[in-house]
Amino acid sequence: MQAFLKGATVQTSRSQKDKTPSGPSTEKKARAVPWVEKYRPKCVDEVAFQEEVVAVLKKSLEGADLPNLLFYGPPGTGKTSTILAAARELYGPELYKQRVLELNASDERGIQVVREKVKNFAQLTAAGTRQDGKPCPPFKIIILDEADSMTAPAQAALRRTMEKESRTTRFCLICNYISRIIEPLTSRCSKFRFKPLANQIQEKRLLDICEKENLKYSKESIAALVQVSEGDLRKAITFLQSAARLNVEKEISERVVIEIAGVVPSKMVHDLLQICFKGTFEKLEVAVRDLVDEGFAATQVLSQLHDSIIESDLNDKQKSVITEKMAVVDKCLADGADEYLQLLSLCSVVMQQASHN
Amino acid sequence: MKHAGQTAEEAFKEGFCVFAFGTFDPSRLPYLNRKWCSGKAGRCGVVFPREKKKSFSCQQQLNTYKTMSLWVDKYRPTSLGKLDYHKEQATQMKNLVQCGDFPHLLVYGPSGAGKKTRIMCLLRELYGAGVEKLRIDHQTIVAPSKKKIEISTIASNYHLEVNASDAGNQDRVVIQELIKTVAQSQQVQASAQRDFKTVLLTDVDRLTKDAQHALRRTMEKYMSTCRLILCSTSTSKVIGPIRSRCLAVRIPLPSTEEVCSVLTSVCKKEGLLLPPELAKQISDKSGRNLRKALLMCEACRVQQYPFSVDQDVPETDWEVYLRETANAIVSQQTPQRLLEVRSRLYELLTHCIPPDIIMKGLVKELLDNCDGQLKAEVSHMAAYYEHRLQLGNKAIYHLEAFTAKFMAIYKKFMEDGLDAMMF
Amino acid sequence: MNKLTLGHKASSSRVSQWVAPSFIDLSDDDIVPVYGKKRGGKTHHTSRCEVKMPRKRKAESLSSHLLKESVLRDQDQPWVDRYSPRSQGDLAVHKKKIEEVENWLQAHSNSAKGRILLLTGPSGCGKTATVRVLSLELKLRIQEWTNPSNLEPFSSQMDQWTHGFSSISQLTQFQEFLLRANKYNCLRMTCDEGGGATDRKLILVEDFPNQFYRQPSTLHDILRRFVKTSRCPLVFIVSDSLSGDSSSRLLFPKDIQEELSISNISFNPVAPTTMKKVLTCISTQEAAKSCGKLSALDQAALEMLCSGSSGDIRSAINSLQFSCSSDTSLEKDLWRTTKDRAVPSVSRTVVSRTNRRKPKSGHSKEQSGEQAIGGKDAALFLFRALGKILHCKRGSSEGVAAGEGPSGADLPSHLLCHHREPLQMDPELVVERSHMSGEFFNLYLHQNYLDFFSELEDVDRASGYLSDADLLTADWTSRSTLADYGSSVATRGLLHSNSQQVSVGFRPLHKPHWLLVSKKYRENCSAAQSMFRSFCLTPVTLQTELLPYLAKLTNPMRNQAQITFIQDVGQMPLRKRPGRLKLETLADKEPALLETDTDDEEEEDKEREKHLDGTEEEMPASQPQPNTNQVLLENADLLIEEYMSD
Repeated sequence: MQAFLKGATVQTSRSQKDKTPSGPSTEKKARAVPWVEKYRPKCVDEVAFQEEVVAVLKKSLEGADLPNLLFYGPPGTGKTSTILAAARELYGPELYKQRVLELNASDERGIQVVREKVKNFAQLTAAGTRQDGKPCPPFKIIILDEADSMTAPAQAALRRTMEKESRTTRFCLICNYISRIIEPLTSRCSKFRFKPLANQIQEKRLLDICEKENLKYSKESIAALVQVSEGDLRKAITFLQSAARLNVEKEISERVVIEIAGVVPSKMVHDLLQICFKGTFEKLEVAVRDLVDEGFAATQVLSQLHDSIIESDLNDKQKSVITEKMAVVDKCLADGADEYLQLLSLCSVVMQQASHN
Repeated sequence: MKHAGQTAEEAFKEGFCVFAFGTFDPSRLPYLNRKWCSGKAGRCGVVFPREKKKSFSCQQQLNTYKTMSLWVDKYRPTSLGKLDYHKEQATQMKNLVQCGDFPHLLVYGPSGAGKKTRIMCLLRELYGAGVEKLRIDHQTIVAPSKKKIEISTIASNYHLEVNASDAGNQDRVVIQELIKTVAQSQQVQASAQRDFKTVLLTDVDRLTKDAQHALRRTMEKYMSTCRLILCSTSTSKVIGPIRSRCLAVRIPLPSTEEVCSVLTSVCKKEGLLLPPELAKQISDKSGRNLRKALLMCEACRVQQYPFSVDQDVPETDWEVYLRETANAIVSQQTPQRLLEVRSRLYELLTHCIPPDIIMKGLVKELLDNCDGQLKAEVSHMAAYYEHRLQLGNKAIYHLEAFTAKFMAIYKKFMEDGLDAMMF
Repeated sequence: MNKLTLGHKASSSRVSQWVAPSFIDLSDDDIVPVYGKKRGGKTHHTSRCEVKMPRKRKAESLSSHLLKESVLRDQDQPWVDRYSPRSQGDLAVHKKKIEEVENWLQAHSNSAKGRILLLTGPSGCGKTATVRVLSLELKLRIQEWTNPSNLEPFSSQMDQWTHGFSSISQLTQFQEFLLRANKYNCLRMTCDEGGGATDRKLILVEDFPNQFYRQPSTLHDILRRFVKTSRCPLVFIVSDSLSGDSSSRLLFPKDIQEELSISNISFNPVAPTTMKKVLTCISTQEAAKSCGKLSALDQAALEMLCSGSSGDIRSAINSLQFSCSSDTSLEKDLWRTTKDRAVPSVSRTVVSRTNRRKPKSGHSKEQSGEQAIGGKDAALFLFRALGKILHCKRGSSEGVAAGEGPSGADLPSHLLCHHREPLQMDPELVVERSHMSGEFFNLYLHQNYLDFFSELEDVDRASGYLSDADLLTADWTSRSTLADYGSSVATRGLLHSNSQQVSVGFRPLHKPHWLLVSKKYRENCSAAQSMFRSFCLTPVTLQTELLPYLAKLTNPMRNQAQITFIQDVGQMPLRKRPGRLKLETLADKEPALLETDTDDEEEEDKEREKHLDGTEEEMPASQPQPNTNQVLLENADLLIEEYMSD
């Protein structure tokens, strides 16, 4: 089993975003620090993630060369945190700003940016020592967060830069879907996959935070948090903080967590399925109407229904018909189709399939 | 006192103070006492000179005004404490305001659940009564392509409300520019309780993906001086990164009982007696949509008072029209009938009923008219063509295709039924 | 000139004879004094030889048939000129039309007051020829306006660049021309010319100064003045064009026609039988004349020429000359068998003109060879194009017996219901010829297809295809690529779904109503939002909840504009079948008013433009009348009037 964290600090992974903007406000007011930032790991040792990455990073900390990196995996698994912590350790706080370029907004990375910003940065040479005399690697790091949202031409432009500047610069590409990175780029990088966090590790981290923040919580609520976050620790911590904000001085209950996550209570999903299996179409209409009226997002209902269907005791053929329909419904929802009609259509498929027994 | 015919700008130049106000709300009357106008930036409405003593005539106007405003607006709760339902959520919001660390909010729920009311209460809780001094501005934003985009916003000193989807495909520019302006302008009063302003974006689910991505960036950039409250009917159409940056607040529709009790209490305040049966009937018909229920109730009042238990709850014309259309479809299935239906659909469209609403209404009526196996089939087709409606350009193709499809299925079903009876 | 070309002839091949003299002819300009001005302007799409045709004819009419027998000269002349009609009998125009024109000319040439005649019809149907022949017979002198050639000689109608001084001077010149033509007559009377026959004359205008296309009103003004003072008849000849700029309607709208009592005689394309008669006559004459060097084309070839020219006799004769002459210089059987190959070797100019032409869709493939020479771009009027798709002409049942056996048998039994006879046309071609974007064509189809279907199941599938087509073109990024597929899906889908091939007889076609509806929808929505902004509601709630209920509440606090709007939009005409909305019928030869565009906004603008011209009265009259207080709310009224006037 991979131990996700070794040290006492929290491994959070903000693979993208909030870091920079929340920075200024963080400095001004201590209270406004999002917990995800507050509990982000400070050094590589604290990040004990998948052996390969850590091993590679540790070696480079000890003086070895670092390859170009490509981190990929679902959100909230620690991709950004890992490289940030490593960079911090490599260069120390002073040098960090000079040596690390972080580009993380999808809209700031047209081909122009890659050509100019990246090139200019990469062309600066780097010395092999720190100001305080400690040795540091003679290269700079460019972190390209959300690399999968870069346009293909921009990625193509990057590949030349990558080769040309390999003497002084290392690239770290971070993305959710490796399939959206063009082949020439992936072949130039060592790829590391970040897996969703195991439940126990998440739970441990959450409990840690609760203790530090003096929160009242129930065991069920933590379990619920772990469940709704689906392996995304950032999400879990954000939910925890929101729950704490909404319930000052009160115990964080399971219900609150579920509410914040926007998850449909499992009873409602169960009832809906029961109606699909046994009820009439009229009842189904009412049930779906209710679900929509309660304000639940159809995409959420869909994913929960999916889980339930997979676990239900329908035969494989029925399941495959239903899941195929689910895929269609998901696409339609993404296109902005009406939630009620789509759900109704899906449920009637479930009903039809169930009645074929 | 000046009448319309004078645009806001002209009036302003002449030294009049032009103000507009938001919802028709009696609690804002003290403010209205001063000067008011309404409608499209002074195109219509009344503008009062700045110097003139607004005395008798003005006051009289406002009195009539008070009696004339809709119940929906008149009895809209103005503070978190006064909300009629989801009280626990209201307390949570209070907590949120008090803990000082105010995140971006994503408020979602079906239409008529009271999202906007709740947001205004929250803003009042944040900033005090100042947020109710509203003005309507028309802003012109110049896109990078040098194209001018006109958009109207509703603003107080503390917040700015905008429906960026009004700008169509240019919504990204609008969002970025507006938020930038708000974030960069300093808080007017130094004494304000908050060091951030709020931008309220409505209809977020109608924003283009492009705009949503821009929003996510903008959100982070101006976090220190600006908070966003996003208002949408569902989170399905809101992209993940935005959802993960916001505290999502779901506002379900009130239950039938809650609607009944609100109706009763409003009628009581109006000095009317609402029979519980009628209240039940209204709330059933409104589909738990509180705004609709109140409008219905008021329409009942206009129709007949004292209320009778079995009086007809007035429906909107278009709903009745749509039902007739559905009946026309069910009663005969020929190309000629389809032609008639088409002209009825056109009629609905010219009366401002959006195509997707027409589709949904039609499906509902048609589902009521058929049974069993047919229903499932109809629901599939409805989902299929509604999806195309959203993607396509010309709604009528898809509305008509759905109608034709239904006619064909229904005809076949009836013929099969007939055959089955004969043999 | 003749000698020059004669010498030329001796040394050069026949092909070059045919082409070269027409250039030499241009020097004619200096020789022919009064009428020899070169035609500019309007001769787009016509070939060289056509350009000089009228001039030649004029020359002939002056020299009174002297040249008719002159073989020398005839050799160099295009047959169009050589065989230009000289008497009523020669004209390939229907007798009744000729009579009509003759009557008019007789009636108005003597009257002291000048009248105006407008001749319209497709190009090459004999409008000009008729006028010339008749004027010759009636002893009318023709005074023709030509656009001054010192300006831009080949400026096309739509050319924007000639806007500057040239158009203005053209305009004044035109005006002067009309005046002088009038007065000139008076002077003649006093002068020695004397002959009572020749002092009667006729003013002919075939070219219009470009300015008129931009501002038809200037023309109308000039005409009004002309009508007051003139003494001689004025004849305008306007060719119908398919490309959307219907100049006759633009220049002479109905109201002007009535105001100035302009008589309008419309010519039809030359009937195939008449044309064949003429062609046969010419080809036999030529064959006889050339002493065996030229051979008369056989009947089948002539027939193909006729059909390929789609009623344009000028182009038919040109093609005839071309086919005959090529016949002599090339192997006969080459011409017969591999015409496509023969053509390039003959003349490049002609190829470039003809090779993209397709046969008329009613005729099938075996003519594709002929089209290379004789074909005229048979553009279709929208009306006919729609008819072709909607009436769904398929191969006859004899075809089934003979050739189609395999295709029917190919289908497995469960698919037999999808079997259709082969189409008699190519839908893509029909759409292309209609000069419309597929999207608009689809709208027209959608507006009209229901009348042509009898089975609901067919309608079901047809509407499905239309929906598919819209979906294909939905995304603007791929629209340019997919637009063609969209129209294919729609047209072929409609054709295929119409399983009952019943002949429905004549059905009026209508212009699409959707454009109007969607425009109105947009306008109403934006009006609603701006007027009721103060309710702070989202558009959907505003339109579906607030407005309809406001209509039910007697709530007088709103201003007049709002009240009117609520009455207008919030209420629906209940318990009343709206019946079929009054529709604008699509006239027979009406060109497509809507042009192709890709840009959405442009599209909207154009739609708006289109509907500004008063087509909007067809909105159901069910809307309540406004009772606006005019004094109080002038501005607001204006706002509303935009919607009420719709």
